[in-house]
Order: sequence, then structure tokens, then C-alpha cells
Amino acid sequence: MKIDDVVCPFCGCLCDDLVVEVEGTRVVSVENGCTLANEKFMGDHRLKTPIHREGKGWKETTYDEAIRETAEILCDADRPLLYGWSGTHGEAQSIGIHLAEILGALVDNTSTVCHGPSILAIQEVGHPGCTLGQVKNRADVVIYWGTNPIDAHPRHMSRYTTFADGFFLKEAFRDRKLIVVDVRKSESANIADEFVRIQPGGDYAVLSALRAIVQGKRGIIPPSVAGVSREQLFRVADLLLSAKFGAIFFGLGLTMSRGKSKNIRNAIELTEELNRHTKFIISPMRGHWNVYGSNEVFTWITGYPYAVDFARGIAFYNPGETTSVDVLSRKECDACLVVASDPGAHFPKACAEHLARIPTVQIDPHVNATTHLSRIQIPVAVTGIDAEGTAYRMDGVPIRTRMLFRGTYPSDTAVLEQLYAIVKEIKGP
Amino acid sequence: MKFLLNTGRTIRQGSYVERKNSVAYQEEATSLCMNPVDMMNLEVEEGSQVRVESDQESVIMKVHPALWITQGEVFVCLGPYANHLVKPETHGSGMPDFKGTMVTITPTSEPLVTVADLMERCGGVRYED
Repeated sequence: MKIDDVVCPFCGCLCDDLVVEVEGTRVVSVENGCTLANEKFMGDHRLKTPIHREGKGWKETTYDEAIRETAEILCDADRPLLYGWSGTHGEAQSIGIHLAEILGALVDNTSTVCHGPSILAIQEVGHPGCTLGQVKNRADVVIYWGTNPIDAHPRHMSRYTTFADGFFLKEAFRDRKLIVVDVRKSESANIADEFVRIQPGGDYAVLSALRAIVQGKRGIIPPSVAGVSREQLFRVADLLLSAKFGAIFFGLGLTMSRGKSKNIRNAIELTEELNRHTKFIISPMRGHWNVYGSNEVFTWITGYPYAVDFARGIAFYNPGETTSVDVLSRKECDACLVVASDPGAHFPKACAEHLARIPTVQIDPHVNATTHLSRIQIPVAVTGIDAEGTAYRMDGVPIRTRMLFRGTYPSDTAVLEQLYAIVKEIKGP
Repeated sequence: MKFLLNTGRTIRQGSYVERKNSVAYQEEATSLCMNPVDMMNLEVEEGSQVRVESDQESVIMKVHPALWITQGEVFVCLGPYANHLVKPETHGSGMPDFKGTMVTITPTSEPLVTVADLMERCGGVRYED
């Protein structure tokens, strides 16, 4: 059976035009998808049953036993951490936050090691953004700053920018100017009209220089700024000022390098300067397919987008203190529930060591690095394949993912509902 | 020799992200991209094993030439190998310095380790699927 308009649950693009052929409980072909989508749909590497650790080995267990044991671990803990959430649907995220509230737990999502600094900057100076549809139809100058969409968001260029013809851009490849700013000449840089190579850690200085030029202060620009020549800075600024509609997309090259949230703040303020001359927008290139959704769900329930601490009985938010890497490296939490992410692979070693030290439970369809650090793993259905739910695209547009077939695995929502019910029973009214 | 370690997504890393215990993922996550001039100075060839050491830990990786990276910098895709080298310090931001770790690289003949080996070093217990 061929299913049209399938939503891809891999990256923040949430492409919704895939055609997937299903035979029984198996995907046999994928059309329109990128390499990442093909691997996601065609991959068949799931953990078969719940497992739990016994001494130096692993034993299979049942869902009921694994969920009961998880509830007891979380209820016994003084400072549990519930981490992940970006690889599951909004309905499951919502249960996770309510679970954190009754446990008095810390709840954090993968933004913490992704676009957390972008959120901090947006909280300071706002977010002049728009939907990707507006970019596709209007943007005649596009900047990718500290991001390599060809590898990380393979269809971003073909659906929304360089290769996507729009209402006002009939021949996008020729009509849109592409600027790539990076410390390395990435695949995306190879097709740029202008590649700006910055010395590592020099983004803030280059953004400041561009702001000065846009403000008309060309005379104060030194011959070179963080490895970028004055001539190139003038050329880039002229390209930006010549835009009818410009779009800046930025990635972890800004959020993870020196300056972090202040880099993003400077980029947003450059966008603000540009809006005194023409129309410009700025948007983060979100990684996980529903990381934006985790920020939305966290915010509408707790008031804060990530790193929320319920230890005081109310929602408390202080990134740098209540963020997962800090909490784990301080060896502060004494149990961890990981849902739909892999901190074992993506956190520094000191954090992985603490996850191994405390009882860690993982709810995830696949065996990953965190599996080896856990005491229990509960496999679940993959949202967008054998489970459905709401996700948010990187520009904040909610899209309902589809269930392509009914498999044998329970969804994240089903497992978390059962877990919540047991915890509530243990904690009492 | 000292280098600045940069990390980021590659399409191969993304392709194998749900098979982290596979040989393919291990190969990609231990591929260290280096400017060919640096390779010459370090006296290593394509596929040579090197020890990459930070003030946190050391891991074994394989060198691959990359003209797109400047001398003095190396690139490894995000994953447990690169992250073993990164300090957990976030400077009050919540975000470690994933793109700014200084490392010392020396040629070695020591073998690569698996993801399960790395996690066992952290105190975990390997699960073989």
C-alpha cells in the first residue's frame, strides 16, 4: 500500500511530501525522502522487548514489570531528571511534564545542547521570524550562518531556499543569492555565491562589523575582522542591503562556539538593523524533528521552554543551573528517565559517567549509547511510522505525523500514561 | 601537535544515528578530518590511527584528509567519541564548548574502540543486540 503526504520524523524540516510504501508492518520504499529519511523509514534495528540489567548482564522483561520498576526508581529518588523529549510527539511530552510536576523533578529537553542559547537570546531581544513558506516565496537573499544544511537538513535548500522556485522567484537558483558563513568550507559553502570563512570564535566580531556597516559606519571597520577582509564584509553587507526579502538561518556554529547566546543576540540585532532598510528575518535550524515542539509544550504548561525544575513545587528556570549537563556534571540528580534522545552519545563524558552511576531508565525504540548506561530500556513505537502525534516544524508550524501501520510496540504516550498512573498511585492524592 | 577540535553533523553520522553499535557508525564517529599539510607535518597517512587527547580524556581515531578544513583545526562528527574530549563546563549557559576544545594529536597503533567499550569506561554495562 502506498501512502501519500507522509511526514518525515527526522530533522526539523518535517518534510510532509513523502510517499511511503508499506507491506504489513514493514516499510518497503520511500519516495521524495533524503538519505536521512530513507534510513529512518527503512531502518529495522529496534530493540525487541523491554530489558533490564541484572548484575553485569541484561535480561528481557515485560512492559508491566519495566514500567513498574521505573516508577519505583523515580519515586525513590530525591532529585530525578527527566531528559530528552525532542524525538517524540507533543502528547507524550505533555505527559512527561505532568510526571515531572508530581515527582518534583527536573525536566529538560535536547535544546539544552542545541538551540538553548538561541532561546536565551530570543528571550532577551525577540525573534523576527516567519514561516518557511514566506522564505520560499519571497527571500531573494539567504544566509546560512554556522550551519551546513546539505548534511544536517538535506532538503531545506530544495524545499525552501536555493533550489525551490517561489511565487516571486520563478528561477530560484539564479534569482536567490546564497551566502554561507562558517569556519570550514562545508558542502553548503561549495554552492554559495559568497562564502565567508571566519576564524573559530570570531562570529560575534563579524556580526558586530556587519551591524556597523549597515549603520553606515564603514570608516571604522579594520582591514580584517576574525579572518574576514574588510572588502568581503562590505560586499556581504551590500548584498544584504540589496535584498527585497532576506532570510538568515543559523545553526550550532553560533550556539556552541565562543559567545553562545550573545552570538545569537548579535545576529538578531543585525536582523533588526537590516529591517530599517529592507525586510529581513532570522530563524534557527532546529535539529530533532520535534525539538521545537518540546519548547512549545514545555512553555505552554510551565511557562519556560527547557531546563524546568519542579523541586520547589513550582516551575523554576535558570539555564546554567537547571540545565542537564550542569546537573549531571555536578552529580546532583539521583535518577534519570531518558525519553527519545541519547545523552550517552551527545553529552560530555562526565555526564555519561553520572548516568551510569545512578539508576537511568531509557524509553526509546533503538539500542544506542545510553542503553549501556541504563538499568532499564523500554522500546516504543516510532512516531511517524507506527505511532502518530503532533510535531512542530523548525518555523513553529504544527504538523500531525501519521501512523503508517499498526505495529506491536506501544507508543511513548501509552508507556508514559501507564508510568504516570503508577507514580500518581504511589505518591497519593 | 595541538589542534582546535570542531564537531558537527555529517550525513553519514545522521544515517547511522539509530545504529550506534554498528561498525559503520563507529567508522564515521571516529573519522578525524585534517588538513593534508597538517597530516604531512604529523607524518600520518589516510586511515592512520591517532590518539586525540584533551584535558578530559583521550580516544583513538582515524585520520582522513580534508581540504575544506584550515591548518590547525580538526573536525569530527558529533557523537560519543568527540564528546568524550569535551569539558562539561558550560560557563553558566547550559551549553558545553562542543566547538572549541584544544586537543593534542599523536600517531599511534592502538586500535579503535566500540561505542559499548566507551560506555563501559564510563561505568556502564554493554548490551549486545
